[in-house]
Amino acid sequence: MLFCGYFRSSIRFSPAPVYSPGNRLQPEREQESDVALIKAIAARDEAALAQIYDRYRVVLFGLLMRILNNREEAEDVLQEVFLQVWRKAEDFDETRGRPFTWLVTMGRSRGIDRLRTLASRDRVAEAGAREASEATSDAAHDAFKSEQRGLVNDALAQLPDEQKGPLMLAYFDGLTQSEIATHLGAPLGTVKTRMRTGLIKLRELLAGQDASFGF
Amino acid sequence: MVHEDFKEMIPARALSALDAAEARAFNDHLSECDECRMELEEWEATAAAMAVSAKPMEPSPKVRERLLNEVRKELDTVPQVIPFRSATRNLWTSFGLLGAIPAVVMITVLIVGVVMLWRENGALRERVARSEEFMQLVNTPGSRVAELNGVDGGAGATAKLVYDNAGRAMLMADKLPNVPAGKAYQLWFIVGNNPPMPGKTFVPQPDGKGMIKEQMPQAAMRSAVFAITVEPASGMPAPTGPIYLRSSAVN
Repeated sequence: MLFCGYFRSSIRFSPAPVYSPGNRLQPEREQESDVALIKAIAARDEAALAQIYDRYRVVLFGLLMRILNNREEAEDVLQEVFLQVWRKAEDFDETRGRPFTWLVTMGRSRGIDRLRTLASRDRVAEAGAREASEATSDAAHDAFKSEQRGLVNDALAQLPDEQKGPLMLAYFDGLTQSEIATHLGAPLGTVKTRMRTGLIKLRELLAGQDASFGF
Repeated sequence: MVHEDFKEMIPARALSALDAAEARAFNDHLSECDECRMELEEWEATAAAMAVSAKPMEPSPKVRERLLNEVRKELDTVPQVIPFRSATRNLWTSFGLLGAIPAVVMITVLIVGVVMLWRENGALRERVARSEEFMQLVNTPGSRVAELNGVDGGAGATAKLVYDNAGRAMLMADKLPNVPAGKAYQLWFIVGNNPPMPGKTFVPQPDGKGMIKEQMPQAAMRSAVFAITVEPASGMPAPTGPIYLRSSAVN
């Protein structure tokens, strides 16, 4: 098994508003409070839902905008994601992953589903042209001026383009390995190897930051 | 493929980048391999880290408002419990107790009524949620829908089975006759002239509606006929009862 026990304890995202530049280690208490919030949501606590929304809306909306490139669609999916959190909170199993991973996986999955629906209607390009120039609000940027983002971007920047490209196409565009091979005009076996090597390297780079950062 | 082949696929699976056939094979393997399942969870955490690389953006405040309004609508269907205050007891209140008995009976009836409505509402919401889930599966790219029609004892009944490329399937049936106690409907997958492969059992609601989630056998993904029989409630490895519904071949 690759890095399993080691990495399980390494990846720890904390929500944006609680990030403290002065304290680079993420306190475990904060992570536990995410779990506590999801348990409260499962017990139909509306305030807990509002709190988890406030914590993660910026990162999830950024992700959905990156995938959909359309504010209206991204906002619609964002609402769907948190409604899903409300309705499925009791299914969350903290032994199988962290709240951040659960939320992001759910958000990305919904975003890619919407992207495919939109692509089938040929609406993406039109919407993208309208939205591409929209800037991030200062408030959002301040709220998520996080070293986490810099850390991940630095790690991605260290990957060779031939590894980073397939990862980005898979993660943000929802392409399969075959589709990526076609898109890049590369042999499927090569794409598979590059994607695997790239993700392994990304994992090592992020885990390597564990001593000083909270991942 | 062997275990090591599937382990090689885990990073790509964490990115949902496996092609349909590989994804199906991997999902089959995952259902019986705890090691791969645990490792996949680790890789999914790595993949999730990529989300942070996207530029953070602030959604409109209206999203929060709409979300919470939606949630409040759901909460409004749950009855609020108001605690009773105990009164100081004296001679007059003791006489008053006699008059309170009918009131207590009425309140009890009301509470029972509210609880019944709440349960019905809960069942309705669950049904709506399942319908939404069904429609999501229908809208998944590459999904296929098979229509099953009632035959003989099941005449008039209908069902739809939808499944995606990963083999996730849902069956929704309507107008099913009630089954005798100890019996249930069972889904079957029939590929060519091979023996039918057993699916899950289910007992329909009193209004004849029934729903199950299934994982398609890999052999049935390409072409199959689907049938529903009445069997003992625990299910059978091979059909023993009459066919109530069946589909044409789905290719």
